[in-house]
Amino acid sequence: MSIFLASVGFGLLTAAVLAIAAVSFTLQFAVTNVLNLAFAAVMTAGAFTAYGLNRAGVSVWLALPVAMVACAVLSVALNLLVYAPFQRRGSAPITIVIVSLGMALIIEFGIQAAVGGISVSYKMSQGRPYHLGGLVLTGVQLVIIAISVVVMLAAYLTLRYTKLGKSMRATAANRQLARNCGIRTGRVITITWAGTGALAGLAGTVYAIDIGSFGPTSTDLFVVLILAAVFLGGPGHAYGAMLGALLIGVATEVSAAYIVPSYKYVIAFVVLLAMLALRPTGLLGARS
Amino acid sequence: MLAVGRARNSVSTFRRSSRLLAAIGAVALTATLAACGSSSSSGGIASGQKIVFADVAPFSGPDAALGPTYLVSCEGTTAAINKAGGVLGHQVSCTTADTRGDPADAYPAVQSLLSRTHNLELVIGCTSDEAAAVAPVINSHKTVMFCMTGQSLFDHKHYDYFYRLVPPDLAESYAMTVIAKQLGYKKIALAFGNDIGSQTFVAPAISAIRKAGMTMVANETLDLNATTFRTEAEKIVQAHPDAIMTEALGSADATLLSEIKQLNGGTVIPIIGTSAAISPAFFTSAAAAVGASDFANNFHADNLVTATSGPAYDAFTQSLLAVKGKVSGAQTGDFTTYFTAPGAVHLYDGMNLAALAMIAAGSTETAKWKPYLTSIGDGVPGAVTVNSFAQGVAELKAGKKIRYVGPGGPTSFDAFHSSPGIFQIDTYTPSGVVQVSGNITDAELQAVSG
Repeated sequence: MSIFLASVGFGLLTAAVLAIAAVSFTLQFAVTNVLNLAFAAVMTAGAFTAYGLNRAGVSVWLALPVAMVACAVLSVALNLLVYAPFQRRGSAPITIVIVSLGMALIIEFGIQAAVGGISVSYKMSQGRPYHLGGLVLTGVQLVIIAISVVVMLAAYLTLRYTKLGKSMRATAANRQLARNCGIRTGRVITITWAGTGALAGLAGTVYAIDIGSFGPTSTDLFVVLILAAVFLGGPGHAYGAMLGALLIGVATEVSAAYIVPSYKYVIAFVVLLAMLALRPTGLLGARS
Repeated sequence: MLAVGRARNSVSTFRRSSRLLAAIGAVALTATLAACGSSSSSGGIASGQKIVFADVAPFSGPDAALGPTYLVSCEGTTAAINKAGGVLGHQVSCTTADTRGDPADAYPAVQSLLSRTHNLELVIGCTSDEAAAVAPVINSHKTVMFCMTGQSLFDHKHYDYFYRLVPPDLAESYAMTVIAKQLGYKKIALAFGNDIGSQTFVAPAISAIRKAGMTMVANETLDLNATTFRTEAEKIVQAHPDAIMTEALGSADATLLSEIKQLNGGTVIPIIGTSAAISPAFFTSAAAAVGASDFANNFHADNLVTATSGPAYDAFTQSLLAVKGKVSGAQTGDFTTYFTAPGAVHLYDGMNLAALAMIAAGSTETAKWKPYLTSIGDGVPGAVTVNSFAQGVAELKAGKKIRYVGPGGPTSFDAFHSSPGIFQIDTYTPSGVVQVSGNITDAELQAVSG
């Protein structure tokens, strides 16, 4: 198999996981106005929730919805107990970002204190390998890609055709105006925290399944990739985040094939910087 | 680290800023406390106060398994010392400083440790991740340290208070090459983490592979913070190596090996690891990633020769078993793996040497007891060999000179206070028990050394 084809395939797999996280992150940011750097830590919490159940004998696929619920609750709690009080006090956005960074460390080190600094794996079969045009993917990896496609479609349909989606878009566009139009923005924001939290739990668990072995700090760099995908696509744009995830995923893996692999993320960020220099609002952001 | 460092710089400025603030805070605190009076124990310890040994190592980050391993050794050794009456009437306790495996974090962590810890007599740990950054600081503080680093820097730079009971890293690279040669491998792939500790193995390994007449078919540097290594794994699989030499701690090796297995049609390529792979945490994560049987059947690692029976071994294992299940972060895997873990064995010996040196000197003043480290370790004419702290105390009380020979074997300190040991080859059983499967002679090492 050519290394190029293999790296493109691996890039698509990375992009599938990244897209779930990036879409969720950017929706959260757009609607709640919180650039939540604790998002990846919530993902880790989801991965370890599923791990706890898996260790107790539960299939990781059955543990997945439980992890989603746990992360939804954690995200809502984060907002109610931490971010919302700061926002009510009129704290500057940069203050909230720093608060979220602090929460990321608290959650990450909390997990580490509970489970230790070791790496763990789910007890699960990877399924039989499938040869797709020279690319080898396992059954589980194909399921991950399928989950990602379903999430992207669901996000599209929700935002486009449901009352909730329209309320979210209105709240993201202009919270005051949305409230004046009768939209209960507070409720929309809470639902958004719950929904994006659940997606963080989903992303964390499939990420842990995908990488095979994970620990409390495994998402440290992943949050940077999420930010790159979000800003490449245009912050607050769900479809931009999907596109950004695809570009970042493929760029990192293809660059790993042809340069020193430890520089692969540098290449991804060169792409991002070049993009932002040419179009500061991102691929799908408004021109002005 | 370049990739990670740049990526983090570009996006997560605040993380850096908070680190910088923490570092500034730590330096300010150090300066304040230094102005108020040093907490150094070099002047001796007041009656009734505890002596402190500090475990300076990664407790978080990719190498987070190292700190708890050393802490098991510290807690076990100090418990045995206290049970035998302590040191000159002082009980001994352990404290920790988390270096996160990064010099930038290690420096302020050690500064903070030195300023806040009263009666600090000994530092253990200081791995290759942080030794170059912290050893000069600890040395300036006139505190003895037993470090788990093989960095060549310490082969020619003399630090008066620096000691180590492990060989230079290049010798470990040679040992891995000898293992490959003994097993009949011809084509070798290298896959080492991008941390300082792992990268020191690469250059000597390349040289040794060439000298041994083997071929290096791939050389992948693994970003320890990366999410996957699929492309790196594919490049290794396409190079068709007979074996992979590797050290990439944290979850990196486990992830890489599982991806190699998947891309290689479900077959694990034989692995040759460093002595750092002899730890419960490493076995647990690797076995979980590729399957315990597959991993055990395909894994070899170099390790220093340690006792597996006899009075030194018995005293050592009893010490560690006394703290089984009580040390935070060390409840994973088969506890008996610690009996052959280099950090556990050699730091146990280092701590016993230090405690016996204090008793022999009749003082907790560092300047007075430090010279006894060499004389008790290497022995002097007429010295009685002792295999445990308690035995050493008894002989010293009887007015005899002693030579301490612990589970790590006899020491032979050179001018730089390094005492390299002898290598053996270790494997795992599928249940995670470490077995010795062969030995490596000096002649074999010489044959591949650059």
